[in-house]
Amino acid sequence: MNWLLDIIESSIGKKLLMALTGLGFCVFLFGHLAGNLTIYGGKDAFNSYAEHLHSLGPILTVAEIGLLVFAMVHILSGIFLFWGNLKARPQRYVINKSAGGRTIGSRTMPYTGFLVLLFVIFHLMNFHFVDKTNTTIFQIVQNAFSDPIYVGIYVAAMLVVGIHVSHGFWSAFQTLGANHPKYMPLIKGLSICFSLIVGMGFGFLPIYFLFMS
Amino acid sequence: MTQSNGKKNINLTLKVWRQVGPNVKGRLETYQANNISTDMSFLEMLDVVNEELIINHRDPIAFDHDCREGICGMCGAVVNGRAHGPEKGTTLCQLHMRHFSDRDTVVIEPWRSRAFKIIKDLVVDRSALDVIIQAGGYISVSAGGTPDANVIPVPQEAAEKAMDAAACIGCGACVAACPNASAMLFVGAKVSHLALLPQGVPEAARRVLKMVQKMDECGFGNCTNETECEAVCPKEISITNIARLNREYIKAGFL
Amino acid sequence: MQLDSKVPGGPLSEKWDKHLFDLKLVNPANKRKFEIIVVGTGLAGGSASATLAELGYNVKTFCIQDSPRRAHSIAAQGGINAAKNYSNDGDSVWRLFYDTVKGGDYRSREANVYRLAQVSNNIIDQCVAQGVPFAREYGGLLANRSFGGAQVSRTFYARGQTGQQLLIGAYSALSRQIAAGKVKMFTRRDMLDLVLVNGKARGIVTRNLVNGNIETHAADAVVLATGGYGNTFYLSTNAMASNVSAAYSAYKKGAFFANPCYTQIHPTCIPVHGTYQSKLTLMSESLRNDGRVWVPKNPGDKRLPSQISESERDYYLENKYPSFGNLVPRDVASRNAKLQCDQGKGVGETGLAVYLDFKDAIQRDGKDVIAKKYGNLFQMYEKITADNPYETPMMIYPAVHYTMGGLWVDYNLMSTIPGLFVLGEANFSDHGANRLGASALMQGLADGYFIIPYTIGGYLAGTKLEKVSTDDAGFKATAEDVEARIKKLLSIGGKRTVDDFHRQLGNIMWEYCGMARSAKGLTKAKDLIAELRAEFWENVLVSGSGNQFNQSLEKAGHVADFIEFGKLMVLDALARKESCGGHFNEDYQTEENEAKRDDESFCHVAAWEYAGDENEPNFQKEALNFENVTLTQRSYK
Repeated sequence: MNWLLDIIESSIGKKLLMALTGLGFCVFLFGHLAGNLTIYGGKDAFNSYAEHLHSLGPILTVAEIGLLVFAMVHILSGIFLFWGNLKARPQRYVINKSAGGRTIGSRTMPYTGFLVLLFVIFHLMNFHFVDKTNTTIFQIVQNAFSDPIYVGIYVAAMLVVGIHVSHGFWSAFQTLGANHPKYMPLIKGLSICFSLIVGMGFGFLPIYFLFMS
Repeated sequence: MTQSNGKKNINLTLKVWRQVGPNVKGRLETYQANNISTDMSFLEMLDVVNEELIINHRDPIAFDHDCREGICGMCGAVVNGRAHGPEKGTTLCQLHMRHFSDRDTVVIEPWRSRAFKIIKDLVVDRSALDVIIQAGGYISVSAGGTPDANVIPVPQEAAEKAMDAAACIGCGACVAACPNASAMLFVGAKVSHLALLPQGVPEAARRVLKMVQKMDECGFGNCTNETECEAVCPKEISITNIARLNREYIKAGFL
Repeated sequence: MQLDSKVPGGPLSEKWDKHLFDLKLVNPANKRKFEIIVVGTGLAGGSASATLAELGYNVKTFCIQDSPRRAHSIAAQGGINAAKNYSNDGDSVWRLFYDTVKGGDYRSREANVYRLAQVSNNIIDQCVAQGVPFAREYGGLLANRSFGGAQVSRTFYARGQTGQQLLIGAYSALSRQIAAGKVKMFTRRDMLDLVLVNGKARGIVTRNLVNGNIETHAADAVVLATGGYGNTFYLSTNAMASNVSAAYSAYKKGAFFANPCYTQIHPTCIPVHGTYQSKLTLMSESLRNDGRVWVPKNPGDKRLPSQISESERDYYLENKYPSFGNLVPRDVASRNAKLQCDQGKGVGETGLAVYLDFKDAIQRDGKDVIAKKYGNLFQMYEKITADNPYETPMMIYPAVHYTMGGLWVDYNLMSTIPGLFVLGEANFSDHGANRLGASALMQGLADGYFIIPYTIGGYLAGTKLEKVSTDDAGFKATAEDVEARIKKLLSIGGKRTVDDFHRQLGNIMWEYCGMARSAKGLTKAKDLIAELRAEFWENVLVSGSGNQFNQSLEKAGHVADFIEFGKLMVLDALARKESCGGHFNEDYQTEENEAKRDDESFCHVAAWEYAGDENEPNFQKEALNFENVTLTQRSYK
């Protein structure tokens, strides 16, 4: 298995891990968003979706562990890459101007990534590791989003996620070698669309609750 | 039509990175470049400044240069934050002063990367790029005994794509401009050039693994697809070559 | 010393094969016992280093740039010739040989040229195998174009970057040998002297340009591939670091210098635009395949080209040379441009330019086709001049480009110093008085890949070589000489910069030893150079010290040699009382202003032997015997 270790330790290997786990999260985000949209169907729809999800039992546990592993891999390789990149230029430029390649997304990847991590912890504490006896998930969400501060945090976080994904999505394809002059514009377009869908899809929910209350 | 473009002279304030050696602290120093013809190249402007420095018994600014026609890859500096200056697809020697205005301040810094040590002022040691090529950037054929050149047809499209990649002049601007000081465009161009040609296929796997390994050893950063390299490359080499490098690496590593 | 070209006997086409058989071989196991120094990593030096290492020799290779990939071979645009006859248009080894001898105005050595044509085909095979991305047809086979003065399509090319691609091929072969430990690579080294031991070349002295250290290196043979001396003219298409110092130091150590006056002035360069100009940029002569050269018919016509109607234009090359038209050889094209400008018909601000017009070609083939062929050249032109050649004609003027002269070598490419071999542009052997387009790359690679690997073996196997080390007195003494000269350059502390002197030398050379020469002008130049030399050693100002990275010092050494070498060029030009190829003496021309050769008296190689700084060099002739071609006056009408 030395060969695998060699690959993973290389710069491209670490990026491959980033890309694969990142794309995994994109799929997760898509599913998560689809589930969340049941909120617009009302309290019962959302609660029944949550029940359905929990009825999956061990499958759900496996998925959760999977997500956790993905997160660890994504975070660890991200840290290694970030650290390596810092070291690669010990003396910075006095004047540094973009030649037009960078975007907000690409520029801020490590930082948005870090914020997303904080948010995920916050989010899990709010909705996952809470006492769910005598209450429904809908109520928990409703309670949380009656507080404008919570809404603000969530909306801001979704903006950050959108920015992160706007670069991460197409970048993952590039890292996996899927760059073809014919299809790359499409992938880049998709990347923007996806980041908008994720940002707005998730971002409107707290606002919706705020106005509902 | 500018065939009779009126000659114009401009005055500039230069802030140039001066550093006497690799392990010495450097700093920006200010010089005046007066009466600079806009038909001059950037390096000719530096020549003029240097002539004056020499006459005044001051140390002239050291900078690398050779062919001065944009092909040898010897020259290069970061001008106002941009590798090779503000013009697209242009080496520093081919950058002309008509792209500057009177009384501009121009900040000139060397390529900065852990893999490129500063030798003096704007001169850096780019031997890491040679070391990467030595790791596998070739086709192992010795002189003599090669088959007739037309024995293996190469589709025109493949030859053209290989040529696109082979246009790399090894100047190091991609590394200089990359926010992570990564050399992926340089390596991607070489790997692509050889992988696209049937002659390069037999060693493609070995080549890409060795070159990437060497690139990592040299202390370059990691590619995060910022695409700044492509934007400053004087030969406008595309990042599709980086994707091809990734593809070749995956192929070589997992198959 | 009598010059012996060592050309083997027998029919022309069998000489090389016979010679290969006659050459002694070095036992494979013994090759690793020999050390060879190669100076220069252009096409000749790079390919020689790689090939010698592949054979098993231990090679030490030196280059002045920071990487062996940057030598000035890289700037060659147009292509490389080979007698493949892929175009089925009647090419053959014999025709390439004949064209080259004729193009060289019958001043080259027949046997060398024939050998060059013979190995030309192997070069293409070799380069393709290395991964050089030559242009190809849709079917996947190699594309050819006709180039500068050739009536067959025998030029292989990689866009406008053929030199670069061939050099990267040689560089990659060299890199492979560096990785294998067979070549030890020394970059940023300036060769300052040659070391002789018992009359044989056994080492070199270099300056490490990074820290200023003077270093000595010993070997069993030394190969110089240090390029040409075009920068004697200050402005040329050569790279800034191109210099004559290595070759000149060999000359001072006893290597004869052959035909130094033969310089090629390339007709299609971007005109000069100011005194600050540091170098000239060549536009590939392939442009003349589709571009039409013209000037206004009326002297002093300063209107924009678009305002000058067809009837007011003089397509002087097409009119004067109906069968070759715009494709006449370089010397003819250059001289005619000068002639037009001398008559006041020159265009542009300085009046020192002619038009090269693509309007008709664009109309005929469409912009796309022209862009595909010349896109990068047009782009380069626009970058420098801010003019768009798709819309307005280019302006071009001749510029010093290549030097046919060089250190004298025999058929084995060995100079008059045993063990000193000279390859590529640095030698004199194959191009006579004028080089054809796309032949420089061919010669560099021929010498490096296919000639020196064999002939150096013959020398090493057949010569008794005593053990030497860099601790020997000869090495120490040479290093001391070098150091003394550096000290002297630094101590003068005068008032004029090195560039200032160089510029002045360039003016003298261009004015009196350039496109047109005369006994009167050359005599004047001789005096001017002597004065300049005297002033240089009293009034030059070199900054910094010797033990640091010091570009001013590097240049000072080169310019000191250029000045002395300029004198040698002038002497040679004076001695050659005829016009031929790159040497046009106004005193010897036909009534139609064409070069007038004197085959009776000057069908020879002029070789010069150093006889001390203050003395005139000794002159020796190598007679040129043409057994296979008849000497004719070149005519491109």
